Amino acid sequence: MSEARVSARPEWGTLIGICLTFFAIGVTVNVLVYEHVGSAVKTIAAAGIVLSATSELAYIAVRDVGGSVLAALIAGWVVASRFGLLAASLGTRIKVGHFQRSCAALNCLDPNVGVAMQQTTPSGVMAAFWWVTGALHLGWWCGTFTGVFLGNIIGDANKLGLDAVFPALLLAIIANLLRQRPGFVAAIVGGGLCAALLPIAPAGTPIILSLTGAIVALKVPEQKVAPT
Amino acid sequence: MTWTIIILLAVGVASLRLLGMYGGTALVRRVPMFERLGSLIPAAVVSAVIAQLTFASGKSLTIDARSAGVAIAAILIWRRAPIIVVILAAATTTALLRL
Repeated sequence: MSEARVSARPEWGTLIGICLTFFAIGVTVNVLVYEHVGSAVKTIAAAGIVLSATSELAYIAVRDVGGSVLAALIAGWVVASRFGLLAASLGTRIKVGHFQRSCAALNCLDPNVGVAMQQTTPSGVMAAFWWVTGALHLGWWCGTFTGVFLGNIIGDANKLGLDAVFPALLLAIIANLLRQRPGFVAAIVGGGLCAALLPIAPAGTPIILSLTGAIVALKVPEQKVAPT
Repeated sequence: MTWTIIILLAVGVASLRLLGMYGGTALVRRVPMFERLGSLIPAAVVSAVIAQLTFASGKSLTIDARSAGVAIAAILIWRRAPIIVVILAAATTTALLRL
């Protein structure tokens, strides 16, 4: 088992990349949240207990355009419902007790589930999940404190191109899934549907409806598109 | 954003994660077809997040410097470049196009 845990550790380059990316996200998101909240303590508390940058941003976005508190909360929850889907996916691949299962659920994010699901054994899935979780927490917290306390020095983080870093990282993480035909179909349909619905559907729902991509891909026989 | 709002947002997000882990997993295990579906969900959902982060500007779609940065990243990923190279190239491309 310990052998599987060691071999399941993602490459250091991947972990450093995830850490740097979450540092960038921590800075960019928490500069915005701090501007909206106006309190360093609240910004840091929200970063820790919500642990969903997109939920915080969805809440702020709805409030900024004059939406009600309830509408903003619903937007934040809907955006986060993808973590429930990812947790369900992860839950089928792990064999651990309730405590570790609950801890894993509360830490479900796109990169750690994406990397973990590419492992072949339950212990490998769990090991990869926690390695990536550690890397992203390190980056997220350093970025959060930097954003809150040094945000005014950094200025507009998007001028540094940091808004392109997260989608690039996510793409790299699911690259292996895209090299298999069912995963490729799921991604194209899911991503395409989300893009098509973005201008017309309520915030967060396009991501939930992207689940259709996985359903469509069920009809695709498992066959490699390119050698991995 | 008050403390009440922060706590409500956090409780909602945590509940969704736990519901997925316990309720969703039980459902997937009960219906065999859902097991394969579970392995395809990350590809579909993460791709949707990528699409939103790459093309969304409020409620509209746009192709801008950020999209170009992600496109460069996609090419580098296809060429199997290391992940650090990918994210640095994405940020650099985007930043340069915004100069």
